[in-house]
Amino acid sequence: MPSQRQLKGRIRSVKNTKQITKAMQMVAASKMRRAQDATKATAPYTNTAREILAHLAQQGETKDHPLFEARTIKKRLLIVVASDKGLAGAYNTNISKQYIRELMADDKAGIKTSTIAVGRKVTSFVTRLKDAELIGAYEDLPDQLEGHELRAALDSAYNLFIEGKIDAVDMVYTEFVSSVTQIAKTERLLPAGSVDAPENDKLHEALFEPDPETVLTSVVYRLINAQLFQAFLDARASEHSMRMLAMKNATDNASDLIDDLTLAMNKARQASITQELAEISGGAEAMK
Amino acid sequence: MKLELVTLSGVKVDQDVYEVMLPTAAGPIGVFENHEPLVSVAIPGAIAVRYKRGDSDSKLEYFAISGGVIEITGKRVRVLVDEADHGDDIVEAESKAALAKALDMQKNAKTSVDLEKATALVDRHQVRLNVAGLRRRQRH
Repeated sequence: MPSQRQLKGRIRSVKNTKQITKAMQMVAASKMRRAQDATKATAPYTNTAREILAHLAQQGETKDHPLFEARTIKKRLLIVVASDKGLAGAYNTNISKQYIRELMADDKAGIKTSTIAVGRKVTSFVTRLKDAELIGAYEDLPDQLEGHELRAALDSAYNLFIEGKIDAVDMVYTEFVSSVTQIAKTERLLPAGSVDAPENDKLHEALFEPDPETVLTSVVYRLINAQLFQAFLDARASEHSMRMLAMKNATDNASDLIDDLTLAMNKARQASITQELAEISGGAEAMK
Repeated sequence: MKLELVTLSGVKVDQDVYEVMLPTAAGPIGVFENHEPLVSVAIPGAIAVRYKRGDSDSKLEYFAISGGVIEITGKRVRVLVDEADHGDDIVEAESKAALAKALDMQKNAKTSVDLEKATALVDRHQVRLNVAGLRRRQRH
């Protein structure tokens, strides 16, 4: 049985840990709220782009457009989005698992896969894999994400697709369903899928400058940009929400541990008091 | 006429204006009410907004935008851009320093990722610097 002094030391250290995890939980909670608000802010952008695209699609512009062309997939690009930091429960593990599933599926189908990794954790995971081809890695994205931060990743994927070096672009990220549910999933970015959007009557006789095709390319680029941005925001919100939960569990565990240790210490103290009393009364007995 | 400036991080402007000047792929255009319906491509540059009829040029407000899409219907101008910064929020000296840094990064980029990042930064700060310059000119 550990001595009273050892127990005291352990209690103190667990208390310190609890303070830290509690603080991290609070930080994650406030960041999650901010990230959650940000996920809603992209909606007007996406909707506007969809409306214009729907209009172009009606005019049959999307049929022969290269960005919509579904080719036989021989080579695929995966954009894997995870975090720079750990301590977020199963967040990074779930993404890694999903990524491995995609790799295995590609391997079975004879598809070559290259990867763009976002976040330090997943980058180091991908580099450790033997046959994963990593063509880009992005780290240290700021908390308040802005459009231009993703431009480089988006452009490299976009250009590879246009040049025909890659036949499809998918993203692997964590969807933020609610603050208790987050799902690691795969979503197609390119070729662009068909869109269903309410038709905008006012655009009926609209002129397209310089020509419909250029406008279409620009709109689709904006749309996949928004899709990627949304995925990043979702991933962010999920990360913080999972970290919050992980830290809450850690705090709870620390509380339990402190209770157990306090009990053990009280017992030890009581035992030593009893022992001392026994010794005193034993000594008094002997003096008689 | 209503102007909506929509960016990835939310709606930046949503209000009535008198005139909007936009940089498009086919050259700069000025839009007033009842412009014919038009969908066009915006190039990185400056948007100038005149809020009321008869406002002098010194009252124009500028926004630095990255590329985007413009949708004009008779009563509404919608500008869809990845990013828009209000002219007043841009500090010229800061932009200049950031541009110099980005150019330096572009020169010394070792990987393709670095190069792409740097190029995006150069474009962005170039536009911001131009907008800052526009504002200075009209003030003096």
